[in-house]
Amino acid sequence: MGMLLRECKIEVIRIFRNPYFIFWSLLMPIIFYVIFTKVVNTGMENQALWNAIFLMSIAAFSVMGSAIMTLGIRMVQEKSEGWTTLLRVTPLPASSYFIAKMIGQSAVHVFSIIIIFFAGFLINGVTMPFGEWLLCGLWILLGSAPFLAMGLLVGTMKKVDTASGVSNIFYLLLAITGGLWMPMEILPKLIQTIGMWLPAFHYGNGAWAIVQGESPELKNVLILGMYLILFMILSIYIRRKQEVV
Amino acid sequence: MQPVVQIENLTKEFKGKRAVDDVSFTVQRGEIVAILGPNGAGKSTTMLMMLGLLKPTAGIAKLFQEEPQSRAVHERIGVMLQQVSLMDALKVKELLALFQAYYPKPLSLETLVKLTGMTNGELDKRTEKLSGGQKRRVGFALALAGDPDLLFFDEPTVGMDSTARKQFWLTVKELAEQGKTILFSTHYLQEADDIATRIILFNEGKVIADGSPIEIKRNLLRQSISFKLNETIEKAYLMNMKDVLAVVEDKGRLKLMTENPDSVLRKLFELDLRLEDIAIEKGRLEDAFEQLTVEQEVS
Ligand SMILES: Nc1ncnc2c1ncn2[C@@H]1O[C@H](COP(=O)(O)OP(=O)(O)O)[C@@H](O)[C@H]1O
Ligand SMILES: [Mg+2]
Repeated sequence: MGMLLRECKIEVIRIFRNPYFIFWSLLMPIIFYVIFTKVVNTGMENQALWNAIFLMSIAAFSVMGSAIMTLGIRMVQEKSEGWTTLLRVTPLPASSYFIAKMIGQSAVHVFSIIIIFFAGFLINGVTMPFGEWLLCGLWILLGSAPFLAMGLLVGTMKKVDTASGVSNIFYLLLAITGGLWMPMEILPKLIQTIGMWLPAFHYGNGAWAIVQGESPELKNVLILGMYLILFMILSIYIRRKQEVV
Repeated sequence: MQPVVQIENLTKEFKGKRAVDDVSFTVQRGEIVAILGPNGAGKSTTMLMMLGLLKPTAGIAKLFQEEPQSRAVHERIGVMLQQVSLMDALKVKELLALFQAYYPKPLSLETLVKLTGMTNGELDKRTEKLSGGQKRRVGFALALAGDPDLLFFDEPTVGMDSTARKQFWLTVKELAEQGKTILFSTHYLQEADDIATRIILFNEGKVIADGSPIEIKRNLLRQSISFKLNETIEKAYLMNMKDVLAVVEDKGRLKLMTENPDSVLRKLFELDLRLEDIAIEKGRLEDAFEQLTVEQEVS
């Protein structure tokens, strides 16, 4: 257990030392938030509610991105450079490596969520009962599980360039079709239909519901759970196949 | 005594091409073994199979009579792979502390610093800021972190300057004196000769010689002079000639084994024998050795 904890701590330190993380996961989403709530007039009837809802969207956007990209690309990099190979001849259990990466990444997500929520409070005076803040934070944290699993899947790729290209495209497509950039309702009908079956919409939707005093729909939980299982099975299967050389 | 390393009929094929071909040997505690061979001889592939990192096409590899993948084995071995890679965004001392925590009875940081010659400045540096040679030194420290009984080094001195090299081999000898078993690969004859108690010579995936450096070199230097002789001569007479090590008769030809073919030839001509169809053949190790780097470049 001590070994795992230390491993997690190291992962957290490493992520914070990565300048790209600060830029892509914190700075970019907050700039986005400012643009779509302050600069561009979105013409929302209830501006206060929109400010709260869009805050959830960009928090989800940030956490989803770092789950897929930071986790996945790092793993590819460590594998292609041979670091993972060296770890395989140490007493560190292989599972610890993956678990530490996911826990460490989640710990960093707690930090991202707090910063982004706080930015929403500072920029637009977004307020809600403490319990709702907490529930939203928890939803975004736990709901990121399928994206962490997707990161593991990206982590099975061979080249850093491929991994970063592919994960970037999937990330942006998911964010757009999931209504994390602009409300689902203003997207073309076809994209809405497709988006309903992808995980990002259900990820955002849970938090949007909590902001409006409702609870996430069962469907949100089920679809996220389904993608979690799918990505886990896929990444375990691919990893098994790669190991036999 | 139970062998520390045991490999039997180890074979690895990559897309039908044999990289390692039916290799068997055992290593006892306290040996310093050099796996010597030119590039592409199959040294790394053999090492990776020994470590359980590569699945053999055929044959078995055991460390301490156990599967190389077992945790009990991992607690007793230290490894430096051919391509040293370090986790980035960490200071050297943070990385070392992480590795120390993997093992039940790790060496202290002071000991690691003393053994590898790392400086305090290096310990505080981020791993991605290190030079190639410094990285190797950290890789060396990582291999030693768990105070292992058995060490594997794949081409350890490539990229080190001559001072670093000296320090490295000094430490290796010290470790061997403590009873540790050491296996390293190299394509430098000199290095194998200076350090190893035993050389296993690889060429084209096969072990072509296995013995002490002295035995290996003797084999290397041995050449043969063969000829047809149109008169009869006592074999014993040739045998007693200076520098002749052995005489064999084969398909009507006489073959003299020697380490000094020049002097033997001179003697044969002085005897005014009717020699025909003379051939001088180099030892069978020569082929492999010609591709080896005998002298290390001075850096
Ligand atoms: N992963 C691989 N795929 C295909 N061929 C390989 C692979 N690894 C090594 N080889 C080939 O196997 C042979 C032995 O390689 P290697 O063990 O690296 O030699 P050495 O370490 O002695 O230089 C070479 O011909 C090399 O090209
Ligand atoms: Mg090699």
